[in-house]
Amino acid sequence: MTSPTDTALAPPDAPADSASASASAEGEEGAAQPFGLGSSPLRTDALPKALGIYPFAADLWAEGLLWGAVLRSPHPHARIVAIDTAAALAIPGVHAVVTAADLPNPGEGDAGAPGPGTDRPVLAAGVVRHHGEPIAAVAADHPDTARLAAASIVVEYELMEALTDPEQAFNAPPLHPDGNLFRHLPLRSGDPEVVGEVIVEGLYQVGRQDPAPIGAEAGLAVPRPDGGVELHLSSTDPHGDRERTAACLGLERDRVRLVVTGVPGATADREDLSFQVTLALLALRTGRPVKMTLTREESFQAHATRHPALLRYRHHADAQGKLVKVEAQILLDGGAYADVSSEALAAATAFSVGPYICPNVFVDAWAVRTNNPPAGRMRGEGALQTCFAYESQLDQLAARIGVEPLEIRRRNVLATGDAMPTGQAVTCPAPVAALLDAVAASPLPALPVDEPDTDWLLPGGPGGAGDPAAVRRGIGYAVGMVHMLGAEGEDEVSTATVRVSGDHATVICAAVDSGQGFATLARQIVQSVLGVSEVYVAPVDSDQTIAGPSARGRHTWVSGGAVERAALMVRHQLLQPIAANFGMSVELLSIADGKITSYDGVLGMPVTEALEGKELWATAQCRPHPTEPLDEAGQGDAFVSIAFCAMRAVVDVDIELGAVRVVDVTVAQDVGRALNPGQIEDRIEAGVAQGVGLALLEDLRTSGGLLVNPSLTGYRLPTALDTPEVRIAALLEERDVVATFGAKAVSAVPAVVAPAAIAAAVRAATGLPVGRLPIQPEDAVVA
Amino acid sequence: MLPTSLDEAVEALAASPAAVPVAGGTDLMEAVNAGRLRPAALIGLGRITELRGWRYEDGGTAVLGAGLTLARMDRPDFAALIPALADAARTAGPPQTRNVGTLGGNIATAAPAGDTLPVLAALEASVTLARPGATREVPVSHLLTGLDPMRPGELLTWVRVPLLNAPQVFLKATGRSGPSRATASVALVLDPARRAVRCAVGAVAPVPLRPLEAEAWVAGCIDWDARGEEGVPAIDPAASAAFGEYVATACVPDGYGADAASGLAVEGPTAVALRLRRTVAVLARRALGRALK
Repeated sequence: MTSPTDTALAPPDAPADSASASASAEGEEGAAQPFGLGSSPLRTDALPKALGIYPFAADLWAEGLLWGAVLRSPHPHARIVAIDTAAALAIPGVHAVVTAADLPNPGEGDAGAPGPGTDRPVLAAGVVRHHGEPIAAVAADHPDTARLAAASIVVEYELMEALTDPEQAFNAPPLHPDGNLFRHLPLRSGDPEVVGEVIVEGLYQVGRQDPAPIGAEAGLAVPRPDGGVELHLSSTDPHGDRERTAACLGLERDRVRLVVTGVPGATADREDLSFQVTLALLALRTGRPVKMTLTREESFQAHATRHPALLRYRHHADAQGKLVKVEAQILLDGGAYADVSSEALAAATAFSVGPYICPNVFVDAWAVRTNNPPAGRMRGEGALQTCFAYESQLDQLAARIGVEPLEIRRRNVLATGDAMPTGQAVTCPAPVAALLDAVAASPLPALPVDEPDTDWLLPGGPGGAGDPAAVRRGIGYAVGMVHMLGAEGEDEVSTATVRVSGDHATVICAAVDSGQGFATLARQIVQSVLGVSEVYVAPVDSDQTIAGPSARGRHTWVSGGAVERAALMVRHQLLQPIAANFGMSVELLSIADGKITSYDGVLGMPVTEALEGKELWATAQCRPHPTEPLDEAGQGDAFVSIAFCAMRAVVDVDIELGAVRVVDVTVAQDVGRALNPGQIEDRIEAGVAQGVGLALLEDLRTSGGLLVNPSLTGYRLPTALDTPEVRIAALLEERDVVATFGAKAVSAVPAVVAPAAIAAAVRAATGLPVGRLPIQPEDAVVA
Repeated sequence: MLPTSLDEAVEALAASPAAVPVAGGTDLMEAVNAGRLRPAALIGLGRITELRGWRYEDGGTAVLGAGLTLARMDRPDFAALIPALADAARTAGPPQTRNVGTLGGNIATAAPAGDTLPVLAALEASVTLARPGATREVPVSHLLTGLDPMRPGELLTWVRVPLLNAPQVFLKATGRSGPSRATASVALVLDPARRAVRCAVGAVAPVPLRPLEAEAWVAGCIDWDARGEEGVPAIDPAASAAFGEYVATACVPDGYGADAASGLAVEGPTAVALRLRRTVAVLARRALGRALK
């Protein structure tokens, strides 16, 4: 299918350096840039970020600002007997000290603000439930004074036993008035009595991955003359955050304005509620701007992590390996507060079998409260944990039956129209078999046999202890799935405004570009619909209309859809007088290559001429079809759409030291339609990198509820040497007819599948079971 | 304070013994920024050019300036001189760290996982500590173990390393391919003149450990005369493997890691100890293998 903008693509032979050079001079040379949907223009913030000149929230400044600092709990579980702030207030330069008592609405329990985290206090009152929970905050005229003052607040604690083992949560005394069970979700489908000829069992463990944003939390609050407050920070859900902040502060929502600034790239929700409310409260208290930046350690304590999980699986299959029954118990450790645990649990349960057909499925899943760090949103929450488990089970089944891992998957794959265990039919494209074929057909990376020994990059890194004689190569496959948009009846909606003024267009939409590329996409959509090359995307603040959070891959669909509709409305306004002039209907005109042309090509005029002196705008909404909650048997049409991905990982394992190096990851992904292929590849690479992290390195450890390694030295992120070559075998473009442009979200599913693929490869190299993530060196040592 | 000569620096430090000398600052400034350290004053050593190079003494000793950067130590001329130290410097961190981090800083910080430390221990290097009008020589191992610690007002100026003109190896086990802290490291140097093998294990204890008995034993297993001849193994592979086990058992006690687990009395080696021993054994065996290749 030829899109109307194909002809306007930049010449493919344009030298790369001229492309990057002209990116900075965009505007003058807009027409020479990649243009419209299907092309790959560069992100506008790519260059400033690469050059280090992009202003992050930590760079904000206001005249006469004060510095905020937070006192955090050194204990995972304790009763607060008394808080004495006198010593802190006595320090010269300290302007305010606030505790839970200063909040009109502390945010706990039913009286709390709406949205996720209703059970979580902004500042701990009475009880602290995890290490690092904020208790009090200080504003002072110097950052060191603020920290010193925070440290001089005297808190009398009565220590309580920390509940750190999620399996004990069921029987332990409740940690919170809401109890220790966030949700129990049973799934019952088919006949429980069926028994397969072959049965494989496994116990799987997933550790605590942290989003570890390189830009730590930072923000600036400025009091307003009307008694309100303006918050400048890198929120990913400006309206939701405004609502919650206003509610906690007891302010009218109009009195709180949230300006999104300096988003450093987010794979999780950004700027927790406590941070925002505390910052706003300090500004309101002092009547002066207050800036706060968290240290790296605080950042690890403050933001939500991925849910650690314990999964017990039993797969029944017939002699040919076709799945007969799957039984599973899934336990997610939600940490101290609910956050999005319920949503993560729904995904874990619904996708507990993976992209496979199984007639009989019996799952019990629980998300529980502990005194561990709170878990929350992070790419593929819930879906990732089960992907590791079901793919490990399939590998085990393949080994038992004696077929190739690829073959066992082919025998069971789900296809469009098949039913999931939740009873929902997969109506979106589900090209799982084609994805598997694509990765299988892709050539394998060469062994480094012809290269000199010294050039081998062995496990353990360059100059490391690697010994070629002890290195085994392994190849592993995995497929996985993740849903898009809010599930279980959540109302998904976004609003966007498109304005055309003379030769340029502006998009006003409160969808935050958290790195997923929405700003670039919005530009491409307007270029495609209106033929205008110069498109500005306005900065986001909460005075704009609601677009919802940047999560669950929703903005491409929901906000992209809103932008497209608004642009189409503007297009209609633009073409109507011209059509009348030509004596034909609007439908007979097309915009391509910067020109408006009639259907027969006879009449036409440049877009710039048609737009001259005009000011047109339109606002539109997009709301996908509704979903329903899962019922007490785990049944229901809970998801709007699902994205799939297949991966092949090739690893080298030093079987004496247990060092693993991922050599190559080949990806085939179901993208619906590639709106910006360059950006999709970037997102896949990012997902794989994050997957490598969880598979081999990243684990935020706790000991008795206390964080052990809250630093970038202790919490090991993958470096350029750890991330493999990522090759795209295929971006399958089978359009999802109900989605905007037929496109599917691309960011989450690679992160979901990569850990499972790497674990499978390590299993193939070592012959060991590999039942936990991250894989520890001792899990890969062949004794 | 930013002295430009060694004498100036020594004077400055003597004048204000509470001041902390800072070279690359890769460890120190991190502690200052995190608020763990509040030095009364800092003496910047970055402008003392005489400490940034090295010289030779008596034909058999290299005298390395404390301000020698890790990046400089990785260059081929230095690597030809003291290969194990160059290997350690190369893996000591990302380029940003190695460009400013110094040998002297590595010793003064004395982090358990300091990469150059086991090499210096295996080489039996010594350091020169200076104060106005006087210097004294202290073996690196004495300094690190606290047997003969640095005194207030003393500045670490030179590191004396014997030149052995023989293979030497530094191997490090880490958790990732990119620069990372060692979980265990082994430095092994051959001293053919004395027919000795010297080995030190880093990162498993607060200071590098020397398995002296294992060294002496393996030196006896090596066919020193066979070295250099094609096709003649200098050591029986079984002896090499046994050496690894010997080193590991000597350096990793049974109770390793027990306090972190439960605090209960343990019987036999803990699982952590067994894992670490296996790693150390593999490193020691491979190091010996590479040195004798």
